[in-house]
Amino acid sequence: MVFSMKYLVFSIKTIFFCFLLYTLYFILNTHVSAIPMDSSRFKIESANVEVAGGSKSSSSYKLSDTVGQLAAGQYSSDGYIVKAGFQYLNLISPFRFSISNTNINFGVLVPGTPSVATTNLTVYFSEVGQYQVTAIEEGPLKTQSGKAIPDTNCDGGTNNTCNESLAKVWAAISSYGFGYSMSGNDIPTDFIDETYFRPFSDLTVVESPIIVMASTSVGKNRSSTVTFKANISSIQPAGSYQTVINFVATPSY
Amino acid sequence: MINKQINFKFQISNFKFMFLFLYFFISLFLYSGNVQAQQVSLSLSPPLLELFIKPDKSIMVAYKLENLGDPTFLNLKILPFEAKDNLGNIRIKPEFEGPVRFSLDNSDLKLDQPFFLKTNSSQQILLRIRIPENITDGDYYYTLLAEATPPTASEGIGSARVKTTIGSNILVTISNSGNVDIKPKISLFSIKGGLVFSQNVRIFDSSDKIPVVLSVVNKGKNTIKPEGQITLKGNLGETAKYDIISKNILAESERLLEATPSASYSTPTTLILSGFFVGKYSLSTQIMFGENSPTIFGLTTFYAFPFKILGGILLATIIIVFIIKRRKEE
Repeated sequence: MVFSMKYLVFSIKTIFFCFLLYTLYFILNTHVSAIPMDSSRFKIESANVEVAGGSKSSSSYKLSDTVGQLAAGQYSSDGYIVKAGFQYLNLISPFRFSISNTNINFGVLVPGTPSVATTNLTVYFSEVGQYQVTAIEEGPLKTQSGKAIPDTNCDGGTNNTCNESLAKVWAAISSYGFGYSMSGNDIPTDFIDETYFRPFSDLTVVESPIIVMASTSVGKNRSSTVTFKANISSIQPAGSYQTVINFVATPSY
Repeated sequence: MINKQINFKFQISNFKFMFLFLYFFISLFLYSGNVQAQQVSLSLSPPLLELFIKPDKSIMVAYKLENLGDPTFLNLKILPFEAKDNLGNIRIKPEFEGPVRFSLDNSDLKLDQPFFLKTNSSQQILLRIRIPENITDGDYYYTLLAEATPPTASEGIGSARVKTTIGSNILVTISNSGNVDIKPKISLFSIKGGLVFSQNVRIFDSSDKIPVVLSVVNKGKNTIKPEGQITLKGNLGETAKYDIISKNILAESERLLEATPSASYSTPTTLILSGFFVGKYSLSTQIMFGENSPTIFGLTTFYAFPFKILGGILLATIIIVFIIKRRKEE
């Protein structure tokens, strides 16, 4: 029994030591020589770096200012070449964008009682197509006489002040304004749950549209829900408050 | 008797009338469709147009715009765009600029003039693209936009009206000679995550998913289209190859490339390597940009060891030794 225990401890020590040696060998053995890459037309030596590096030279051309040529015969005769659709796909897939409700009705706004309304955005594209949907408001919610409900800052303070590109919690009924939240596919990651809101970027103050849906590799029928929210204070003048939100869906290039 | 019969017939006809009335009344509620809010659904094809053209030439391209939602007024316009980031997103500029001239060949349509499109109907858009003479070689990028007019405002309530816009990008390369300027450079070819010991030493557990990032900068004045592979080589000579998806890289911009099979990850990546890795692995990439164009290379390495399995074995051994010792003491 004593012999077997000693043998077991010895084995563990041996395994541990071998593993340590093996690990150290791979960690310390970082010397990697440059890999020559040759062809009849050029020679490239690429060092073991995280980006392409090394000297690149050729007898026929310099890599830094090479020019390619379009299909020469066709181009010179017709004067143009047209390619429709994404060349890495075998078919021209149409790009479709749907919004379930374009009239976002808050009803009669009651001070201190948040009003919410939703709409669904759906993008239908091929399985490898890339797209984006941006949003921008054509000014804040305002009456014809120019009285406005300001864009929300969310609950405010150090931790909960949101902006056009960062959603924060907007749950306090004493926090007034107009904003939106999102849930569903391909939405910005800062919309953590339904209490997280952002204000829209504003066209009238020359802000840029913000991406609200995007994907580098999408499936069919990518869908998200936009929840619009308005909350007014008791001193907000009565009136019919309106604005237009522009959602623009474009495929990538 | 006759009166009774007439009365009876009248009652029956009255009953029939009531029955029919109730039937239609109930049917109205049961079978009438739900009242729906204004829905907009637009489709535009082709989603991308690449045009290589000489100065003083013009071409006509046919687009198909479909309305799959409620009837709506639509407005067509062209605006320039630029690359917003290295992920293939775009920033549409607010005002038209550049030398390329656009118009519609449709007799009944003009750019920036609204037209009506019924539900489930389509409109062919005949877009004329003209390049004036004496234009210097270069690339110009535009988006054809179809805007649905937002619904009319409701009085007396607070409301946000939604304008729905769909776009299709147009990449125009103007070249008098047919030559294009190709100046690519790999800006990043790297592995993400793992334990980092130095710039070139990243260590993973054997079962980890290993995200690879490959980004190419186009310093030339024309769009380029990468073609190539990422090759994974193990220390025992095993090899796996992943094709790079040939997505456009706009002039003087950068793009994160994608290789197949792609997978979703918390941050944008080119490729996710999965499997059981042991030892040192080298990843190389070779990217071309069409005929008579340069080939660029990148190389990086990573290490993987079965830490979790070995940790488990070690833990189990310690527990066994502990148990044996305890039994021996008892």
